Amino acid sequence: MKLWPSRLRQLLCAALTATLLHTSPSMARGETPVDQLVVGMSMINLLSLDPAAATGLEVAEVNANVYDMLLEQDASAPDTLIPALAERWEVSADRMRITFHLRPGVTFHSGQPLTAQDVAWSLQRVVTLNRALASTWKAYGYTAQNVAQTMRAEGPLTFVLDLPRPTDPLLVLNTLATSPSAFIIDRHTALQHAQGEDQGAAWLTTHTAGSGAFKLDIWRANDVILMTRFDNYWRGPAKMRRVIMRNMTESQALRLMVERGDLDVARGMAATDIKALTRSPEVNVQTIARGTIYYVALSMEQPLFQDIRVRQAIRLLIDYQGINDVVMPHYGVANQRPLQLGLNARLDDPGYRLNVQEAKRLLAEAGHEKGFAITLRSLTDSPFINIATSLQSTLAQAGIRATIITGTGNQIYGAMRDRKFDILVGRGGGGAERHPHSSLRALVYNPDNREAAKLSNFQGWRTSFYSAELNQLIEQAEQERDASRQLALYQRIQNLYDQQVGAIMPISQMTDEVVVHADVRDYIGHSAATTRLHDVYKQR
Amino acid sequence: MTSASVSLWGSRMAGTTRRSGSVLATLFGLLLLTFFIGRVMPLDPVLAIVGPDADASTYAQAYKELGLDKPLWTQFGSYLNDLLHGNFGKALLTGHPVIEDIARVFPATLELATLAIVFGVLAGLPLGVYAATHQGRAGDHIARLFTLFGYSTPIFWLGMMAFLVFYAWLGWAGGVGRIGLAYDGLIPTRTGLLLIDTALSGDWEAFRSALRHILLPAIILSFNSVAYISRMTRSFMLEQLSQEYIITARVKGLSQRRIVWGHAFRNIRVQLLTIVALAYGGLLEGAVLIETVFAWPGFGQYLTSSLLLGDMNAVMACVLLIGLIFVALNQISDALYKVFDPRTR
Repeated sequence: MKLWPSRLRQLLCAALTATLLHTSPSMARGETPVDQLVVGMSMINLLSLDPAAATGLEVAEVNANVYDMLLEQDASAPDTLIPALAERWEVSADRMRITFHLRPGVTFHSGQPLTAQDVAWSLQRVVTLNRALASTWKAYGYTAQNVAQTMRAEGPLTFVLDLPRPTDPLLVLNTLATSPSAFIIDRHTALQHAQGEDQGAAWLTTHTAGSGAFKLDIWRANDVILMTRFDNYWRGPAKMRRVIMRNMTESQALRLMVERGDLDVARGMAATDIKALTRSPEVNVQTIARGTIYYVALSMEQPLFQDIRVRQAIRLLIDYQGINDVVMPHYGVANQRPLQLGLNARLDDPGYRLNVQEAKRLLAEAGHEKGFAITLRSLTDSPFINIATSLQSTLAQAGIRATIITGTGNQIYGAMRDRKFDILVGRGGGGAERHPHSSLRALVYNPDNREAAKLSNFQGWRTSFYSAELNQLIEQAEQERDASRQLALYQRIQNLYDQQVGAIMPISQMTDEVVVHADVRDYIGHSAATTRLHDVYKQR
Repeated sequence: MTSASVSLWGSRMAGTTRRSGSVLATLFGLLLLTFFIGRVMPLDPVLAIVGPDADASTYAQAYKELGLDKPLWTQFGSYLNDLLHGNFGKALLTGHPVIEDIARVFPATLELATLAIVFGVLAGLPLGVYAATHQGRAGDHIARLFTLFGYSTPIFWLGMMAFLVFYAWLGWAGGVGRIGLAYDGLIPTRTGLLLIDTALSGDWEAFRSALRHILLPAIILSFNSVAYISRMTRSFMLEQLSQEYIITARVKGLSQRRIVWGHAFRNIRVQLLTIVALAYGGLLEGAVLIETVFAWPGFGQYLTSSLLLGDMNAVMACVLLIGLIFVALNQISDALYKVFDPRTR
């Protein structure tokens, strides 16, 4: 009984044989072109390239190579600031003015020369447009009304930055060296594309006008970014001719591609995949310390947590050691202070450990010997959910019944901004600037605890934790001119925060792990995510 | 014109008007539902734009710029008004007009889904016919096992395994994306379908690269369609093969091939059209998991990313497009019914 024509079967056999002969199985490694750097990373949060609006680590890495800043943090020694577009700068005796002398002969990709007007315009528009990154500058007292006077050009290559209120100029310099809002834009090119009063914002969302080592050729959102070398770059042309960044969200695909050599750099891989690669001779795993902190936050809107004994009990119900040993490898390193590691002002960890008995005693003393029921919010991603699960289990040992509510970052931090949570596992705290004030401002400072104040950019406000004494000390330390007195103040703040049992309880400091193929040289991941690719090359 | 032809013309016009009205009502309902579901979802597009650390005034400004300060009905009304003027709005994800984004991402999915449905039909139909003609025998059991596997295997897992074997171990498949990185940005876009664009540009190396990149995801994507089509084909064929006219054909001494393909299969073509159209529609909706594994910049990824951001302009346009796809596929299969089945003319 014949169901199929015999010719069909012959044809299929011939096609199969031809395919097998043609596609000989190969274990040969892939290889990216020697003069092109191929980066795989998630681009889902890359919504805008405009330095006034671009939030997220991914966009900082793109813009750091397309734009320049006045000065930079040294990638190998983050406490050192090095000249970039400004070849030198001076701080006035009263510490209220910083004067920058720009490097002559710098041109933008358009061929326009860099002037102090470009610098002033670039920084002013961050404040006047009032988009995502404006809060960085508003925190220093800049307003749409005062920026024309406080950020100004004095001559073609002299830019003057007046500080609207007393602060540590080092902090401002750090912001200028790390904030993604501090990239200098080619004013002429941007204004050619301006629509109404938008100062080029719509155009700059999808285009760039910088002076960086690479020019943006193509950005297809959620797909690919192509950059080519800018031959007239003031530091000399980059070693790579082209940089290709491809959107890849699947960790295992990233792992296979970087192992096989089809990717040079893989970012955003899951911890399990990174762990599997740590012994591979094909790749190097680079750990980059970020300034942000993983924490457990309590809301003081919840009456239970207004009792310091309950907060102390919760602090003792966090399994710091277990979490840092089991959950945090490849995500972070232990840190129990609201200050980033490595700062001179930072005290050693206070040494909190899981202590259920003591926590039970404190709860009983506070009248909660039978515990209580509470909600615990966490992102669904690792390591947040793992920390939340651990916390749920240790809270239960003291009779606290925590119901975990999971959500996206948008949902979890949205609830925190609205002060509608009980306990929350989160991450935050500025920290890009290598200055104690950066983390303290984000995590502890809360100048106005009223609901109407809506200071949702301060995580201290989000938790409703208010300490007039801490606020005053933070302000005092920020303005202190004497380095040793400033150091002492920061140490006092940390001790006081411990005594007052702050509502944000740090567990770990974020690290980011980047997998780099073994033949890539001089890729130095930057703690502020402004990794520059100018010197990167491949040795084959 | 005779009164009979006038009446025929009139009834056709009435039918067309009724169908158009029904299509428009469906699309409107779809938009209405999506809009209000989008607004009650606990996702905040403003936060996606300004980031978690923005202060209240920045947040309020972005909130207003998105028009979220207006009542829901006003928002929906102005959206419909824009839509009627051909303005689908801008996407938060890309900063581009949504219509431009869809014109960019949809061809990627169209190309992948079309190839997948071709594989699905080429493998699913013969498999179903084979299973039906060998009912109860080893071949049938193997075919049924295969369909069961096709239905029950998570496509994400299958994609990962195939990627591991055919890309990482054997090196047969291209990597992720639609084409090798060396060709990215170098092929002029004419149709958005890379296999066609590379062929039109005469760059056969690029064509080979695009083919190497699309084959594996298309085959994996077709797996479920193969299972669905073969299972339905088997079922339809079994029904036909038990009919009296088949027995008569056997008694008359017709060859098995003639009975199966010339008689039984001929009679199930119309039903299969619906099955294939449904499977194709499902694939065009966006194969988000396969697109994620293979970093395929298609419609599914675009829709999912937009949804996670709460980017309702993009989501609404995508939903509208999906609605139109299903309407179009229904219309096409209706038209093909008339070709294959004279009784419906």
